Amino acid sequence: MYLAPDGDEIEIANAAAEFLADAMPIERLHSVNSADLNASLRSTLGEMGWFALAVPEAKGGSGLTPVEHALFFRECGRQCAPVDLLAQCLAANMISDDGLRQSVISGETGVSLIIADGDSFRIFGSSDATHALLVSPDKAHLYALDGLDAEVRPALDPANSIRTTMALPGLVETVAGKPIWQLGQLGTAAMLVGIAEASLDLIVEYAKVRETFGRKIGAWQAVRHPCADMAVRVEAARSELWYAATALKEGRSDAEVHLDAAKHLANLAAHANADSNIQLHGGIGVTDEHNAHLLLKHAMLLSRLFGTKRSLLARLLNARLED
Amino acid sequence: MDLHFSEADQEFRARAREWLTANVPTAKRPAHGPEAAQFDRDWQRKMYDNGWAGVAWPKEYGGLGLSGLQQVIWYEELARAHAPHYINTTYISLMHAGPTVAARGTDEQKAFHLHRILSGESLWCQGFSEPNAGSDLAALKTRGVIDGDHIVVNGAKMWTTDAQHADYQELLIRTDPDSERHKGLTWVICDMKAPGIDIKPIRTMLQDEHVNLVFYDDVRIPISNVVGEVNKGWSTALATLSFERGLGFIGDQLELYERVCRAIELAETVRMEDGRRAIEDDGIAQRLASIKADTIAIRSMTLADIAETDRTGEPGPKGSMMKLMVTSTHKALSEVVGEIIGWEFLEFNGDRSAHPWTYDYLWSWVFSISGGTNEIQREITADRILGLPRGR
Ligand SMILES: Cc1cc2nc3c(=O)[nH]c(=O)nc-3n(C[C@H](O)[C@H](O)[C@H](O)COP(=O)(O)OP(=O)(O)OC[C@H]3O[C@@H](n4cnc5c(N)ncnc54)[C@H](O)[C@@H]3O)c2cc1C
Repeated sequence: MYLAPDGDEIEIANAAAEFLADAMPIERLHSVNSADLNASLRSTLGEMGWFALAVPEAKGGSGLTPVEHALFFRECGRQCAPVDLLAQCLAANMISDDGLRQSVISGETGVSLIIADGDSFRIFGSSDATHALLVSPDKAHLYALDGLDAEVRPALDPANSIRTTMALPGLVETVAGKPIWQLGQLGTAAMLVGIAEASLDLIVEYAKVRETFGRKIGAWQAVRHPCADMAVRVEAARSELWYAATALKEGRSDAEVHLDAAKHLANLAAHANADSNIQLHGGIGVTDEHNAHLLLKHAMLLSRLFGTKRSLLARLLNARLED
Repeated sequence: MDLHFSEADQEFRARAREWLTANVPTAKRPAHGPEAAQFDRDWQRKMYDNGWAGVAWPKEYGGLGLSGLQQVIWYEELARAHAPHYINTTYISLMHAGPTVAARGTDEQKAFHLHRILSGESLWCQGFSEPNAGSDLAALKTRGVIDGDHIVVNGAKMWTTDAQHADYQELLIRTDPDSERHKGLTWVICDMKAPGIDIKPIRTMLQDEHVNLVFYDDVRIPISNVVGEVNKGWSTALATLSFERGLGFIGDQLELYERVCRAIELAETVRMEDGRRAIEDDGIAQRLASIKADTIAIRSMTLADIAETDRTGEPGPKGSMMKLMVTSTHKALSEVVGEIIGWEFLEFNGDRSAHPWTYDYLWSWVFSISGGTNEIQREITADRILGLPRGR
């Protein structure tokens, strides 16, 4: 029993961190038109095999587990990676047609994420993506987007564009069962943990250098105590994330409970930490050039995906842990 | 104690309501730029021309010379009438520059500035904070050297809201080069069109460019523009801050109740992901009701404070407690509305009228940081109201 990255897992996490910091650093979001995965980013990620970590080797993937999936997406969260990156990865885990799956894994074919919103649908992802994924807790649908009639909406979060449509074009494939939803839940929880951690790192670094009244602001209890609270939130959300990922990998019967708990804690930790990070920076925290608001805005999007507060709490109320 | 609104108060409310119903601009306020400032000036001018500007300002300065209570009534009616938001480019001139000049200025300064402020002819900005002097304002370094009958200013101010639209500035500078902290500062009226001023906008997370960096390169300001005394500017600055922290957010205090009512109306119509109306969700309903209670209490706090100020003649230190209460209620309301309206909350293009709830949510950090952060407001409450030993 060990509940932290170990051995090869550490190497994968480090490789992901290094790759993402170079290929899609959070700073990209300060320039215009930086939303979504573009074609070149998609193929760079594809070449490195990042979309198919958890896809079996026989199906063209790396044959790794939900643990590596979670480690990768935590690093994605730190860089506010667009959510179509997750859609691309989930599609790689779902598609049965060998040719199409290969093309998604290599990044040649782009996949967006669809969310049902009342009578309409919201699409998150680049307009050059030809496919899109709609996932519910018990099935996943893949659509081809040819002939899509969608309206562009102004997006608060610069990491993803938003389009809305009243009708989805061609259904390509439906897969029943929970695995795709679960990988989605794990991926978003991991990204939110990454955001909670990145928020904490930013303020800890700043509190060591910024001075007021002749002292570093990290010396004021009004600053250091909220920082400590942020660290506690990270610790709780991250431990639960590791547990959920491992339970899913080992096929434990209470994996779902842990996924729900992990997503709920990650929602709260990312939101509260992104909030405190802005507040404790003072004026500089509300500027566009700072990364603080990027973390907040992306957390607002992620916390609404793969389990919102109300649905998670409804399930958690009656959840039971196994031995 | 009494809750008596006099006949004069009631009559004032009825007249205000009638006038506002007929005169609140129907056009949408432009979100940014000179058009926004012009819109604000025009609306202020209209109120001035019709005898509604400066409700509690003395008559000699062009105000109505009415009580603080009537000012409360006026802000309540503004909120009820969906009038243009009072935090706009006229805010600094009306809320603290004008009151500072009225309290501490010379007769010439009052005669020149106060009517112009009330009529919307001149807009002001506040040049207090610097890159390394925010919470710790007394660390400011922008310096002024006396040269005959002028002060020559060099340095930089930061966060100056609406500097690009302002005609004048409340400028706080260090005029005694050997001084430290609160000593040796001077509060001076800076003409924003003076040569040597360079303004660089700072973009914020609200997708606007309302705050600025302002650079001063040998800017010459007549000594006659000093408000208070040379090297005794901290005292004048404290007066400014007491107006800012005392009544500066009165509009929000009174408007929050209207906003929570609007949020409840929204919750009665919007369907959640489970198909129920938002108000049918106990969690949402209870939070809205609790926030409503807070806004009702905020109104009572406001009335208590105003009545006290009407008696003593100057705002007390309770403004810091008020700001803590208002900023946290404001954020809580924005958060619950974010849950109610769901995905729409993630749409934003920087325009307050197009995306009011998202704008308000983002503004909650501006609210809890500008004008003294919430951490500093807690420090002030602990120091000045509770008399606790100081850590700074
Ligand atoms: C949108 C906006 C508009 C503004 N408009 C104006 C304007 O028009 N004119 C103007 O002069 N200024 C303006 N300000 C500046 C504002 O007053 C300062 O940003 C604020 O006082 C905080 O200062 P700072 O940004 O330097 O943060 P810092 O002082 O560096 O504070 C950083 C963090 O440390 C905390 N902290 C610092 N010292 C202590 C302490 N002793 N105890 C506990 N906590 C502490 C703070 O609360 C904050 O969380 C504006 C700011 C913003 C964001």
